[in-house]
Amino acid sequence: MKLVEALNILQSVKQRRGESFSCFLATGMNPLHLKTFLAAELSLLYLNHRIEIQPGLYGDFLGNLNRLANADTDCGIVLMEWSDLDSRLGLRTVAAWSASACIDILSNARACALQVQATIEKTCQRMPVVLCLPTLPLPPISFVPGWQASSFEMDLKALVQSVASQVSQCSQVRILSPQRADLVSPLRERLDVKSELLSGFPYKLGHASALAGLLARLMRTPAPKKGLITDLDDTLWRGILGEVGIDGISWDLDHHSQMHAFYQGLLNGLSNEGVLLAVASKNEPSLVQEVFNRKDLALSANSIFPMEVNWGPKSESVARILKTWNVGPDSVVFVDDSSLELAEVKASHPEIECVQFPTKDSAAIYELVFRLRDLFGKSSLSQEDAIRLKSIRSSHSGLPVYEAGKAAPTRFLEQIEADVSFDFNKSPLDPRALELVNKTNQFNLNGKRYTEASWYKYFLDPTSFLMLVSYKDKFGPLGKIAVVAGRRSKQLSVDMWVMSCRAFSRRIEHRCLEEMFAKFDVDEIELDYSPTDRNSPLSQFLKDILGVAPSPKCTISRRALATQSEAFRRLQETTNG
Amino acid sequence: MDEQQKRLANCFCAVFPELSGEEILHASTATVKSWDSVAVVTLLTVIEEEFGISIEEDDPAKFDSFQRILSYLQENQGKSQSPDDVG
Repeated sequence: MKLVEALNILQSVKQRRGESFSCFLATGMNPLHLKTFLAAELSLLYLNHRIEIQPGLYGDFLGNLNRLANADTDCGIVLMEWSDLDSRLGLRTVAAWSASACIDILSNARACALQVQATIEKTCQRMPVVLCLPTLPLPPISFVPGWQASSFEMDLKALVQSVASQVSQCSQVRILSPQRADLVSPLRERLDVKSELLSGFPYKLGHASALAGLLARLMRTPAPKKGLITDLDDTLWRGILGEVGIDGISWDLDHHSQMHAFYQGLLNGLSNEGVLLAVASKNEPSLVQEVFNRKDLALSANSIFPMEVNWGPKSESVARILKTWNVGPDSVVFVDDSSLELAEVKASHPEIECVQFPTKDSAAIYELVFRLRDLFGKSSLSQEDAIRLKSIRSSHSGLPVYEAGKAAPTRFLEQIEADVSFDFNKSPLDPRALELVNKTNQFNLNGKRYTEASWYKYFLDPTSFLMLVSYKDKFGPLGKIAVVAGRRSKQLSVDMWVMSCRAFSRRIEHRCLEEMFAKFDVDEIELDYSPTDRNSPLSQFLKDILGVAPSPKCTISRRALATQSEAFRRLQETTNG
Repeated sequence: MDEQQKRLANCFCAVFPELSGEEILHASTATVKSWDSVAVVTLLTVIEEEFGISIEEDDPAKFDSFQRILSYLQENQGKSQSPDDVG
């Protein structure tokens, strides 16, 4: 992004009147153009928010850390450069370089680094914190020539790495990847000596723009894709199985097809992280099965579900996969080496991200693996990630499916030994709850999304409550599948209520209401309902209980729920004769 | 208004969006309230970016009006790049 573009973006969003997203930028430099780029990048990510960046005071890094610890913002950034650890590592301080100075600098830097660590550990209890380690080159203070790393340099770098390693354990801390920064902004294109001397802003524009882009993405990580559908021939492996046979395909160094193994490795990793994997291939199923029996494949057949191997159009295979997974096409990536197949799938499923596998270009495959990692990457893994595929398999392997009005719900739940449990613990907040609230569409009370900071703020209210619902049955656990949150004052108000679509048809939503009536001992529950484009399952559920279409701030009474439960019980008796 | 003037006016427009086209031509530290030290650094950086030049001037305060900056650009015309050259 050019500076003039960033300024124009900020001008164009000046009229925004929506919620604000605020961020405290703790740095010792004059953030000047970085602040402009960051505000512009955040404006592009938060489409309706007013962006506010609080920069602290120039030259007071330690003071700014304290200000960050007390800031009332949605997010914090600690942007540390070498001169913040000790001013003698910058250009604006007159310093006598010597061996003893190096020892003293290290000592100062150690104290400063500890303060950085303490501030981040404290602040991340209240808001997400992004840490950017020094990105500028170190001045040649030590006596060694530039091509040799000095012990001074190594010690300094170990110091900041150690801080980063410690704070990376905290769930609300995200560290800007030095490797990615190196890729997008070469070291020699970072320091602007003239600007540093003139205004205290040490970055060249390109570096400031690159850092701002990465920082913004750390603050608002794009929603990760949920599923990947891969082709097989010339994608998962090199060669056309139907033409060369099982022994003719390869993914190894000997056949110059090693990068297919690299791709397989990624897919295996994605599978372990809870990403859904499926195959859409025009092939002979029995042959494909034999390949998956090979021990040298880096991807197990168990990781893939479903396996659509047939001679029909791939768009139809993809449609069946989406139905099995019950996820929207916008959450899915389709990888195939054939432009024709990609175009055919794209025509039927325009929201799917279609990616061409560059079969004969090893370097391009290497790049592709990084791109896919970005599309599926998430800040942390949850228990639910590990059981997602298993629960989808279970739901397609003979599980009796309840259909409203046709089967007996109570008996159905007894049959499958359903066990619903409720957790009202607010401290610490389980990150899974926010994840569910921000990604669930169909069973969602009002479609409202929350930033991490606004989520944490919500639960600072002593009248607030959180109910996190877990489910398991004889086919296995579904994990934490529903969230209800609200406030208990004169009456019980529910502000958010979401449930994963994997948990539909098990009457868990009824159990949630029963539990709330019992736990809070109220006769009515007010719901902050609002219709959205996609929450018709929730609307229908409310309509079944209320007898009429739900309205905003509708109220469910204990009696209405009991009446509906009684109607179900009667239906059960009728159905069972 | 020639091409160079238009490009400079666009730079002013980005940094001082509150000014009209006419006001930009007469803009100076005396007429623009928001023309402070931060604005001048931003303005010069945007101009460097737009024209692909490095303004080697120890005292940025000398660039105190649209016309003076335009004169500087005209004097250093050979050193600046056309929009097509600026990457």
